[in-house]
Formats: sequence, structure tokens, C-alpha cells
Amino acid sequence: MSTVLEERPAAADAIQKFTATMMIRRFDPDVDTEPRWQEFSVEMLPTDRVLDALHQIKWEQDGSLTFRRSCAHGVCGSDAMRINGRNRLACKTLMKDLDISKPVYVEAIKGLPLEKDLVVDMEPFFASYREVQPFLQSSSKPEKERLQSAEQRARFDDTTKCILCAACTSSCPVFWTDGQYFGPAAIVNAHRFIFDSRDEASEVRLDILNDKEGVWRCRTTFNCTEACPRGIQVTQAIAEVKAAVLRGRP
Amino acid sequence: MTSSTIEAPRSPRPVARKRRVNWEKWGWLYMRGSGVLLIVLIAAHLFTNLIAGQGGVKAIDFAFVGGKWSNPFWKVWDTLLLWLALIHGSNGMRTIVNDYVSNPKVRKTMLIALLASSVVLLLLGTLVIYTFDPCPAGSLPSDLPSFCPAQ
Amino acid sequence: MSDIPDSSTAPTRTIDGVHYHQHDIVIVGAGGAGMRAAIQAGAGASTAVISKLYPTRSHTGAAQGGMAAALANVEDDNWEWHTFDTVKGGDYLVDQDAAEILAKEAITAVLELENMGLPFNRTPEGKIDQRRFGGHTSEHGKAPVRRACYAADRTGHMILQTLFQNCVKLGINFFNEFYVLDLIMTEVDGEKRPAGVVAYELSTGELHVFQGKAVIFATGGFGKIYKTTSNAHTLTGDGVGIIWRKGLPLEDMEFFQFHPTGLAGLGILLSEAARGEGAILRNSEGERFMERYAPTIKDLAPRDIVARCMRTEIREGRGAGPNKDYLYLDITHLSPEVIDAKLPDITEFARTYLGVEPYTEPVPVLPTAHYAMGGIPTNVKAEVLSDNTTVVPGLYAAGECACVSVHGSNRLGTNSLLDINVFGKRAGDNAVEYVKTAEFAPLPDDAAEFVKGLIDQVRGATGTERIATLRRELQESMDDNAQVFRTEETLIAVTEKIQELRERFLNISVQDKGKRFNTDLLEAIELGFLLDLAEVVVYSALSRQESRGGHFREDFPKRDDEKWLVHTMAYLSGDAHSADAGDHIKLSTKPVVITNYQPMERKY
Repeated sequence: MSTVLEERPAAADAIQKFTATMMIRRFDPDVDTEPRWQEFSVEMLPTDRVLDALHQIKWEQDGSLTFRRSCAHGVCGSDAMRINGRNRLACKTLMKDLDISKPVYVEAIKGLPLEKDLVVDMEPFFASYREVQPFLQSSSKPEKERLQSAEQRARFDDTTKCILCAACTSSCPVFWTDGQYFGPAAIVNAHRFIFDSRDEASEVRLDILNDKEGVWRCRTTFNCTEACPRGIQVTQAIAEVKAAVLRGRP
Repeated sequence: MTSSTIEAPRSPRPVARKRRVNWEKWGWLYMRGSGVLLIVLIAAHLFTNLIAGQGGVKAIDFAFVGGKWSNPFWKVWDTLLLWLALIHGSNGMRTIVNDYVSNPKVRKTMLIALLASSVVLLLLGTLVIYTFDPCPAGSLPSDLPSFCPAQ
Repeated sequence: MSDIPDSSTAPTRTIDGVHYHQHDIVIVGAGGAGMRAAIQAGAGASTAVISKLYPTRSHTGAAQGGMAAALANVEDDNWEWHTFDTVKGGDYLVDQDAAEILAKEAITAVLELENMGLPFNRTPEGKIDQRRFGGHTSEHGKAPVRRACYAADRTGHMILQTLFQNCVKLGINFFNEFYVLDLIMTEVDGEKRPAGVVAYELSTGELHVFQGKAVIFATGGFGKIYKTTSNAHTLTGDGVGIIWRKGLPLEDMEFFQFHPTGLAGLGILLSEAARGEGAILRNSEGERFMERYAPTIKDLAPRDIVARCMRTEIREGRGAGPNKDYLYLDITHLSPEVIDAKLPDITEFARTYLGVEPYTEPVPVLPTAHYAMGGIPTNVKAEVLSDNTTVVPGLYAAGECACVSVHGSNRLGTNSLLDINVFGKRAGDNAVEYVKTAEFAPLPDDAAEFVKGLIDQVRGATGTERIATLRRELQESMDDNAQVFRTEETLIAVTEKIQELRERFLNISVQDKGKRFNTDLLEAIELGFLLDLAEVVVYSALSRQESRGGHFREDFPKRDDEKWLVHTMAYLSGDAHSADAGDHIKLSTKPVVITNYQPMERKY
């Protein structure tokens, strides 16, 4: 037997559907010299996300629309983009939460080289990340686990949530200028180890971030904190690293 | 080819960063330290000039300034005010230039101009404070304020 | 220092626009298993890791609840109980020698991760904290045991990040957004060996041939054959599909796990950790219905059982909501502090996607396609098998794409994060050992020819069928006919549907004709893999006339150990495009390894 009826939860009534206009900043390097805005119309359900709108366009209207996506529920960090001028994950932004009486503007994140449509080159972003030595460095070789109290663990909990989506770094006006600033994400990932009681290389990382392009370039505009889809207190983490640099220790 | 608009970083990241004296850290600290001091300095300055004494703001004139600078205390006060505020402001301007001027040549030119004007203003200001004489010798009596002793 | 030197990612030569690379070990996939293998391999040999994503996008990061290991940090436990639970959880289709290794090596695997920097939650003494999880018991089923090591409800995220961090530390060569589309096998001394893989570079559309002495497949699952799934859009089974097309067998493909608690209508996973921390499943009457089905461990019964019970409740009219078509996961009796500390992400999912506040309201849930128990058959050394016993020298597989089989017909929660670490490491270690003495198998001159042809053909496709339409029809048919409950009738219905879709697939259109970031092209190729694998899943399911673990046949509701205590092995033979699946899929069986535990009735 088939269980068709059972498989359709909360049966999406046709009346719940609404139409939204999407304005998408397109760019095909083989054809365009400059990005251009293109308008699409999509049929949405209240539970649909911006990612669903993009999929509907790609799957039913224009297969050449290009964007990254994977998990579709905000844990892989593939689909950071600028939605109505704010950096967000397309899969975590519900259409009903946007003002759909006006077009929804979607464009690639800023500050990284635009490759195609909503896709940017992530390499400069990961280069910054690698520079802060984002890995545990410890000389002890314990037979079992290293002990760490719940309080010590809680000290860096917030910054362990980072999914490297680049929403913060590409929302930072200082990063937009010349891309030389380490950027919030790299500092967040340094913070994760600087304040880990098991790590022994905090001084090295503090030295790396005590750089012309390091933490001092942060102007505390809070764009990063607002952009973070994981709710990390990014600006606070940067401030904590600044304070640690001044102290010379975590 | 990538977009030539503002989206792209203008220069690839350098592979290795040069290590040198860290002006950014001291600059950052200076801004905070000078900021706190300036609150006190400016508040007292405004209070004495605009509110205290007889006549308040209407009392300010050449003679008032001359009178103040006859007191070494106010000379030091105003020197501090001058140096802290001017460097604070210039450093802020430097930050803005660094953040928003992307062309390296324009940026360098603006920074040099900023540095030069700051140095000139600092020296000039300091010179004025310490060489100020309300009644310079050899001036025409008609140019001098009334409280100057007749020559 | 941590920067990856450019020289090693540069191709050694370029011929006719095809770039050639040479590494001792080529790892396909950069999720948990791939990176765990890379950490072993990178230290001992020249290694390339090729991924169709950036490594941190891999779906390991979506795993939530924990990783099982009998550390006995919070209560009495040992690896032998863990072995038993794994065997019983898998409804006795588990190869018990492999399960022993899994449970025994779990302890070092967890400690190694901690030493690499993984921020586990801690006990008051500062040790790794552990919690309960479905099917994990003490003393062979007496009571639930705290065995799952965890970091809030982001254990997978932490594992993925920690492994990536250590790959950065070791300077592993990553080739990100490279789609491996073919495995090159060369005959050496009368036996087929891997010579390398062919990859399509997403950003440029160029082809790369990676020659390797050893090739490790760690490409993950293929949950996208279903519509309602916790799997990522990218989990299209490319690696398993490549192996299948090479004529190598696939094992136990009929066993697919449906996770009981996906967000209703969306499939987004709500970890079993919720129930481990005390959450309760309720029907429309507010009844804790699992008490009736599994009196001893109730809501913590294994996933196949809970998913079936949920479906039964809905069928019998006790579903909640206006259409009586979902059930509730209730955590309102837990304090907000506990929820925030231990289940922060899943509660946020409920808020974001359903607008439900889990502090005060129960969350609507439904079973969601979650994990493929079957896959590429390997032995306990992670070596790929070309039949029941013959090893393909130099070819390894680990993680969800592989079938060791430690999961049998139903995987226990927290055993997948364990699987990727234990067998990922084994794949890496054994590959390093292998390449010490092995030579490069010669590459044929036309190594990239097949992929070149495939790409040109698909890019040039100007038919009338949309990829998305075919994929949706496949997924809906699989959900309707080959989900928790199956019958011969439904399985034949979906077989016919797949057949129809395969014909229509020849008439697809690909709109993006460009070379750069052509995801339209790749979605078409991915659909090809999905169709191939769905066919094997359904064909294997049709043949297994019994009910066991994740495979429940309503027309054969009993487990049949006489006839079916065997693994299914599926081989591609003959014309892959022939109309009847029976013309190109050959099934055979493989005995189950039984050491200590004779099959018993499975009660909880």
C-alpha cells in the first residue's frame, strides 16, 4: 500500500502561497563586464527560505543561476549572501520574515573576488584563517583526555560555533577596503584557541594578531556580530583578543 | 576575469607580513588614553572659559586669554590640550584614510599631508603658547590692549 | 608555515587541456572519514584530498548528538556491551568482527579527537561528559547507558572543524570544489587496481587526472534519493555511483535509516540527543506511545523501531495536527538552562523553521531519510572488495559510502561519527602501508576520455526534460514507496517509476552551457548517480523477502534468519541502460560474520 496522504504533513494549502519578486545580481565572467540585476518571480510557502526561492529559479526558470549550498539548515556555511543589504545565510532566512511587498534583493557577499552570480572566491578568506594557526598546540601527550573544567570549556564556547561562512568578514567595512585585514572570522578562530586552557601557543597567535592588519583595525561597527548566522558575539570576541594582546596573555 | 567593481580586494594578500614596530597597538591605546584625558581637559577648559567668573561667555576677549596665559598652570593645561587633541584627531583621520582610501599613491599623499599639517600646527601652537606676550615691546600703542603699561 | 605550498597543488603536467597530478594517496571526499584518513596519510605519504565542496561544508558537520565510546567516564560501561548493542541494533546483520573493532577502537578514537583539540562537554571532574542515546545499553540491554561523548548538539560540527584544523596544521593538499567523476582501474599482473581518479574543476570546467598508488573513497551517502531527508543537497552518492559503474559490488543497499525526529515537512534533523536528555515522543492524545512498543527503554529504542512505531501511530489515527500527520517531540519538561546547554542548535531549528518555541511547545516531527547502512563493501582494513572476499589492492573506502558492515540493517545513533573516525583512520593507515611497497599503476593515455565525453554530452543536452522535475519525481516516488514501510507492490511501483525516469533522463536539457561554476551541469550528472543508486536500493529491497532493521516489508513482516541472515551483494552486469533492472543488476549474498552473539529476538 502507499501512504501518500500521510507523507504530506501540514498539507500546504494553496491559499497560503504567495508571490515574491527576487532581484538577483547576476554576473557571468564570460559574458558580462559588470554585474547586472535580474528580476524573477517566485511562488512561495510561509515555511520557504530564500534558498528555496533560489532553487525555484534555478530549477524551474533559469538553470544557469549559480550559488553554493549544501546542508540547507544553517550548519555548513555554504550560502552566505547579501539579502536586502544584510549578510545572511539563504537557508536560514525565511521569506515570510522579509518584506515581500518589495523585491527581495540578493547579491554575493562583498569584499571577496566575484566569480559568478552569487559565488565568490573564498581562498583569501581561508588564507586569513590559516594564518592564525587555527589548531590546538600542546606539548603534553596525555594517555587519556586532557582535563578541562566546565568553566574552562565555557570560556571559548561561543567561538567554537563558527562555520566559516564568511558572513562576518564580508560584512566588515574595514575588510571591504583592501582585503588586507585578517577579518572577524580569522580572529574568532584565533579566539577559540587563545582561550582554550589546553592550548600553549596563545602568545604566538596574540603576536600574529597584534599586527598592522590585526585586531587594531577593528572599528567596532558590530556589522560582524549582526551578520553572524550562528549568533556568535564576534565584536566581543575581537575585543577580548585586543585585551589579551595588551595583557600579553589570555 | 573578475568584477572590476568594489567587490574585489584590490591587492592579493601578501604571503608573509612584515614585522616592525607596532604603531597600531600604540595608536589604539593612545586613542583610548587621550580620549579619557581630553574629557577632563576639555570640560575644565569649557567651564573656565564659558561659565565660571563674572560675565561667563561674554568675558572672553583678548585680555581674558592674555590673562589666562600669564598663569603657568593654564599654559601647561592648554599645551596638553593642544597635543592630545591634535594627535587624537590626526590619528583618527589617519584611520579613516587607511580604511577608505584604496589607491596607495593617494593614500600615501594624504597621510604625508596629514602628518605635515599636524606637525606644523603642533609646533606653531606650542610656540604661541610659550612666546605669547600680550604687550610686545615696540608696538604702536594703538595696537595694544588697554591693560598694557604705557611705553 | 600552515600555508599550503603552491608547488604541491600544481599539476605536474598538462596535456590537451587535461591537468595531471601525482600523489601516493588520493582521497576522494573531505568529510569526517576523508579528513581522518588524510591526517594518517598526510603524515606518511604524499596525499591529495579532493572534495566537491570546501571541506568544512561536508555533512559530517550536521551530525549533532554524539560519538559513542565506552569510556565509562560517568557510569560503568565496557566496549563489549557496546559491541553487543551495535550487533543487536543492526538486527544481527552486523559483521561482529567489525563491530568489535569499532567498539574497541572507539575509546582511542575519542581520546585522539580530544587530543587534537575537540572541545567535548565536560564532567564536573573535567573528563569527557557522556550521555544516553538510542539503543546503547548496559549489561546487554538491561538499561540505557551514558556512552555518547558530545559537544552540545554540535558534535559533528566540532569533529569536522577539529579534523580540518589538524589538516591545516599538517599542510594537507586540498583540491576544493573538484568533482571526482571517474575512477581509473588498470589491470596489473592480472588484477585490477586503481590508477587514479578524474576530477572536474568546478571553477574552470577543466579536467584533472590524479594518479595515485592508493585511492580512498570517503564520499558519504546518497540521502537525496528521498524527498524528506536530513541529508544535504550535495549528498548524491557520486562516490558510490562511480564504484557501481566500475562493476564493483554494493552491499546491503536496501537498508536505509529513517531518523525518527526530523522537523515535520522539512526533514531537518532534531538529534536523538534530545531523547537522550529526556525528551518524549507523544501522539495527538499526549500519550507517550513508545512505552507500549519498547517498555524497557521506551523513547530510546533504536531508530528503525521508533520510526516504525511513529508511522504506525499516524496510520492508526493518532497523528497530531489538522491532518493528523505528524507527532510531537516534547522537551517542555526540561529546564531552559539544560536545553540551552545541551540542545541549543536543534531548539533554534524549531524556532527558525517552524516558529515553534520548544521551551513551552512540543515540536512537530516525522521520520526523515537519514543514513545509508549499505554501500561499498570493505573488509575491516577498509579495503574495497570486488566480491565476497577478494580485495582490490590499493582501493579503500570509509564512512557512510562504505559498508564494513558495522551497522548491519540499522545503525545505532552515534555510531556513524565513530565509524568515520575508526575506519577513516584505518583506511589512511593501511593506505600508507600499501604505498610503501606499491608502484603507480600505469594510466591509460585516454584516462580522462570517459569524463570528457560525459561532460560534453551532458553540457550539450538540449532535450525537454528538466533535471529538477525528474529528481523531484524520483524523490517523491521513493518517499511514497520505499520508505519506512515497503511491500512488493510499492517497490514494483517505484521500480517502474525509476525505469521511466531513466528513459526521460536521456532527454534532459542543461541550460547553462558555460565552463565556470556550471552547477547546472553537475546537478544533471548527480541525478544520474541518484537514479542508478535508487534502482539498486529498490531492487535489493524487492529481493529481500523479510523484515529486518531499516528494511520493513509489510508483506513479510518477520525476520527470517533461515534464509536472510546474509548480506545482499549487488553487481552491475550487462547494459546499465537496459529496460529491466533484472537485466543489469545481479544479486548474490555474502555470509554474516558471527563471533559471540547468536541471533535472538530483538526486544527493547
